[in-house]
Amino acid sequence: MKKIVSLSMLASAILFADSDLDQLKLQIQQLQEKVQNIEKQNAQKEQASIDAKVANDTSSSFSQAAYLPDIGLVLDMSALSRNIDNTAYLTQAMPGFLQSDPNGDFPFNKDNGFNLNYAEVSMHSVVDPYFDVFAVFHIHPTAIEVEEAYVRTRALPYSLLVKAGKFKSDFGRINAKHQHSWAFSSQPLIYAGLFGPDGISDPGVQLQWIAPTNTYLMAGVEAMQGTNTQSFGNVERNNLYIGYLKSSVDLTDDISVLGGISGVTGKNPNGNTNVYGADLTVRAELGNYSSLVWQSEYLKRDMDNNMTSGLTKDKQAGVYSELIYNIDENWATGARYDRIVQNDVGDMSLYAPAGVNTNNLDRTTVMLQYKPFEFSRLRLEYTDDRSKIIDGQRKNIQEVMLNLTIEAGSHGAHAY
Amino acid sequence: MKKILLSVLMATAVFANIQVDTTYATFGEIVKKVGGDKVDVVVLGASKYDPHFITPKPSLLAKLRNADLLVINGAGLEIGWLPPLIKSANNANIQSGAKGFLDISHFIPLIDKPTTVSRGFGDIHAEGNPHYITDPHMVPTIAKVIAKKLSMIDEANAGKYNTNLAKFLKEWDVYLKNFDAKMLTCKDKKVIQYHELFNYFLKEYGFTSYGNIEPLPGVSPSSKHTIETLNTMEKNGVKIILQDVYHERKTADFIAAKSGARVVILPHEMGAVSGTDTLETFYGDIASQICK
Repeated sequence: MKKIVSLSMLASAILFADSDLDQLKLQIQQLQEKVQNIEKQNAQKEQASIDAKVANDTSSSFSQAAYLPDIGLVLDMSALSRNIDNTAYLTQAMPGFLQSDPNGDFPFNKDNGFNLNYAEVSMHSVVDPYFDVFAVFHIHPTAIEVEEAYVRTRALPYSLLVKAGKFKSDFGRINAKHQHSWAFSSQPLIYAGLFGPDGISDPGVQLQWIAPTNTYLMAGVEAMQGTNTQSFGNVERNNLYIGYLKSSVDLTDDISVLGGISGVTGKNPNGNTNVYGADLTVRAELGNYSSLVWQSEYLKRDMDNNMTSGLTKDKQAGVYSELIYNIDENWATGARYDRIVQNDVGDMSLYAPAGVNTNNLDRTTVMLQYKPFEFSRLRLEYTDDRSKIIDGQRKNIQEVMLNLTIEAGSHGAHAY
Repeated sequence: MKKILLSVLMATAVFANIQVDTTYATFGEIVKKVGGDKVDVVVLGASKYDPHFITPKPSLLAKLRNADLLVINGAGLEIGWLPPLIKSANNANIQSGAKGFLDISHFIPLIDKPTTVSRGFGDIHAEGNPHYITDPHMVPTIAKVIAKKLSMIDEANAGKYNTNLAKFLKEWDVYLKNFDAKMLTCKDKKVIQYHELFNYFLKEYGFTSYGNIEPLPGVSPSSKHTIETLNTMEKNGVKIILQDVYHERKTADFIAAKSGARVVILPHEMGAVSGTDTLETFYGDIASQICK
């Protein structure tokens, strides 16, 4: 009895298993058909896409859009009112420094009325693992100038950096900064007097090194062409050599000090020119977006002149000191005082007729600035300039200016 | 004599810690957790300041000059201050793309990515909202990424970093379970913010943000926008204003007075307000202040 039962159970199990097996077979068959269908469809799709692509291939094999350099645009313009007419303004001379030259270079805020100072196009790109490239095309209403175009190394060992091309020297504190990042629209008097509107800016090479110390200490040397005729300009050979040392300490978390000493030696048509500089910046953070920045520089020039007797070396020096109060995200105000502290030159008659007072050259500038946003700036600036000869007479220049500067596109952040 | 000098030199080479610079304090703390006694951590930006605008002090150059690894938040948060510093620090290790450069945002699924990018919309970040650090659930990913990077830079101590990571992840998992449980008790889930600093946190815990005190990112409040904000708050019954430590408080206080809402001053980074000097107290402070 038991046997029969178990036997029949076995038989039925096999029977069921048989029908299970059939069902599985059927399912496999259906799945195979599905897979075949999908494969067929895929093949058709692939063929169709190949057909379409071959017939009309619009994708580019050589697109380099992803490698486009960062491009920025800076626009600077002003509305200005001055107590000197435009023609007379062009005759200005600065005793001991700048001779009257109506065809001279007045790149910023030249006219009573409205000025478009420049549109500046900057480009930056990583060239390869070893170089960055940076270029600034300074576009005046009448000329296009390569203001800077240089490469700098990315991967030198021992904290070294090499820069080559045309660039603004890191001499002093303000020389390497572009006009739109200055706290005032005008250049410090002593810079304008010694180097003119572009500062020390020439083709050349630069080597900088940061010491492996906890305190920031940077040393740099540069060799440049020396085309700047105001102090150098004897370019039968390259003639300009520059060296500087900069260091910074944080007195507290919120008070930082940056100091530097700089020297440059070059050749002018009459002999040698040496310029020495010392600068000091103290910055106190008063809170978020609020700070007090005090920046001062002293520059001294010894320059061989063409006098055969008497004073054979012009000795001149000047300082500026500025205090900027950044009130909040939007507002800032500040004042600057400029003064020529030494002005011993062999031939003052180059700059002013005999009898005209050429002492006490100084200037006061105050400003109030509003930035609606990070990338736009309105600045109201008042200048009282007591350092100029106009139409052969010592005359003070007073001006009020409203200056608008915008930075659009991929404009890099400003340094300290 | 020569031998002694040589062995001293070798010893310093072998036992020298690697220097890791981080742009903000919270990353610094996570690096400490993973790196343990094998790394020296330098934090560049103080937590009390707006992370978008850290003053690029030259002293930071000396700190970057010696770094073996630089860990940044990324997504544009440092674009206003860090690039000139990296450029002038003369350190090949930490150039963007070099082995010692780590942008954490590349490992985080960023939210609020704008479809069109124009500065007409204010200081928006093209990559998405960069303030993911305010969400405690981001910490494990950050720790893992840092551990992997440390192991690549300092292979000799890879085992140590992995052990530290495992220990930290375990602790953090327990912390997060507790944290999430506490957040469940949170009832009022309607807020406004000054700046969109807390979107990741708010999204994680189901809050709704009804707007910002600043009309556009990086633009100071206007009276017109403040009135609109007040109307929105009244219509939707919003009673919580999230304020950070670095923006002005006048507008938030004004809105609070008019609407009866409360202003909570939240840390956007570890240490931004007092008593938030650890990861636990940083996130704990955000939670306990929002869910008062």
